[in-house]
Amino acid sequence: MQDILELAVSATASGCVYGLIALAYLLMIRPTGIINFAVGEWAMVAAFGGHLLLSKYEWNYAIGMAVVVAFMLLVGWISERIAVRPLVEKGATLLAPILALLGMLVITREIISVSFPPDPLPVPGPFGIGRLEFGSIGGTYQSFFIIAIAGAAFVAAWLFFEKTLWGKSFEAVALNRRAAALMGINLSRVTALSFAGGAGVAGLGGLLVSPNVSAHYLMGVPLAIQGFTALVIGGVGRVEGALLGGLLLAFAEQFTARYAPIPSGYAQGVPLLLLMVFLLVRPTGLLKARA
Amino acid sequence: MKGALRWLAAFALLAGLPFLMGGYYNDVYRKMLLWVALALSYNFLFGICGQVAFSHFAFYGVGAYSIVIFLFQFHIPFPLAVLLGVALCVLVALAVAIPSTRLEGFYLALATLALAQLFVVVLNEGGAVTGGPGGLANYRLPDVLGMRIAGPWYTAVIVFVLLFTLFVLLKLDRSWFGRACRAVRDNPEAAAAMGVNVARTKVIAFTLTSALAGIAGMVYAFVDNTVNPPIFGLDNAFLILFMVIVGGSGRHAGAAVGAALLFLLPFFLSPLVGHHHVLLFGVLVLAAILAAPKGLIGFYDASRRP
Repeated sequence: MQDILELAVSATASGCVYGLIALAYLLMIRPTGIINFAVGEWAMVAAFGGHLLLSKYEWNYAIGMAVVVAFMLLVGWISERIAVRPLVEKGATLLAPILALLGMLVITREIISVSFPPDPLPVPGPFGIGRLEFGSIGGTYQSFFIIAIAGAAFVAAWLFFEKTLWGKSFEAVALNRRAAALMGINLSRVTALSFAGGAGVAGLGGLLVSPNVSAHYLMGVPLAIQGFTALVIGGVGRVEGALLGGLLLAFAEQFTARYAPIPSGYAQGVPLLLLMVFLLVRPTGLLKARA
Repeated sequence: MKGALRWLAAFALLAGLPFLMGGYYNDVYRKMLLWVALALSYNFLFGICGQVAFSHFAFYGVGAYSIVIFLFQFHIPFPLAVLLGVALCVLVALAVAIPSTRLEGFYLALATLALAQLFVVVLNEGGAVTGGPGGLANYRLPDVLGMRIAGPWYTAVIVFVLLFTLFVLLKLDRSWFGRACRAVRDNPEAAAAMGVNVARTKVIAFTLTSALAGIAGMVYAFVDNTVNPPIFGLDNAFLILFMVIVGGSGRHAGAAVGAALLFLLPFFLSPLVGHHHVLLFGVLVLAAILAAPKGLIGFYDASRRP
């Protein structure tokens, strides 16, 4: 029982990270229809940013985190400017910006791999290494920190979509681009904001997970796969779905790795398996988008 | 008759060249031919049918590993081992494609990315069967009719597989199936309205091209006489896509040119940029999509137009 509770805390923490990556996909897919494979790479860039500011220059954690997330907003905005806007303005098909972003993904990864040594680099957490216990529920400081920050990010995203005019305009663009444009919503501004926001959220996920996995230039692709699987499980239309999908995936992964009688490396097959099952059985995900 | 002569001439030319080369250039040449074969089949899936998948190189690995495992671990006769290897590629492809192509959107891309990642894990964790992280080595092509095929003679086998791939793809491209694929790429709703089964067309195109990649992989297994996980890693997952985009997607000649160029480029660039040529590939692809969406072959087409 103790074992299961312990695992549940760490699975919740990983699930929150997957949920953040799924949210990053969602922020960009909803208004634009563009699925951006580079979210994993953005998480990786933020992890390296964390290494640079927090480990190498030993900045205060809160300031370092704010600077990294702000930098990621800029990265997302620049990516949209280079790889999305010119193609949308030319009237190219949806595939063109997706492939252009794939090019950006490779460029981003190679720039990082050229600029940093190839070994995994440490990124510190805000409270160092230690354990926190509430009765029988216990976990590392970092696990609880991830849960708290990701929870706050999800509440903020939910409030943004439900309560603000900006969020409503995102939804309006998602439902009908033409009608939204006719209503006076600036499409290119919504697109730019969605990419900036997506990169910010993905970067937050990368920064949060990096103390556990270290910053490495190949960490992006697994995160991109896990985040996308979480998105499909939860349903592509809803903020809560991203979190729910992330949690479900993380629990399935960690309990498989811990209890299934197979080599633990095969737990990496769980996302693919869940993706196939959900696409076959429930392609709309657990939570349906609101019409 | 004229067509058959053309194929024979192409075979004689491509298979004759390596007899004039040294061992090193022969090695570079046959690897380039394999990349061209891979790019050709991937071009059918991506360029002609409009499907993005990242598993093409993984299927190349499935083919390579399966022939070696069936032949030397399970001691299955050669023709049966080839058939089983193809069957394995088809089964894996169907298992991934049937769920992923049910919906509009890019589910196949992510599913195949996950498959490519899982494939490397399976290779590393496969124990004695896959040889683990070290892979399998110390085997060689079984003698055919008492003859050992090696050196330029084996390159002729690769040329044969390349031309076989091209022949199959050209036949398909010029059949109703090729037209159905183009219709699915350009406008799925219109294709469905014309009676094309969109999901089935995508599944067949993916399965077929994946099997062709598997066959190329089987041939590769005896090029270096070793298969190991790093060869089939994720690094190459995007490379085939890039070759097709840079060369010109949807055109067989474009895919061939792109594959040859991106394969040979690192040999010329390594004195300048070391191992960082992938960065340049990323820039090339971005430039191609933004400025020349028809790829290199588009420039050739434009120069021929009066």
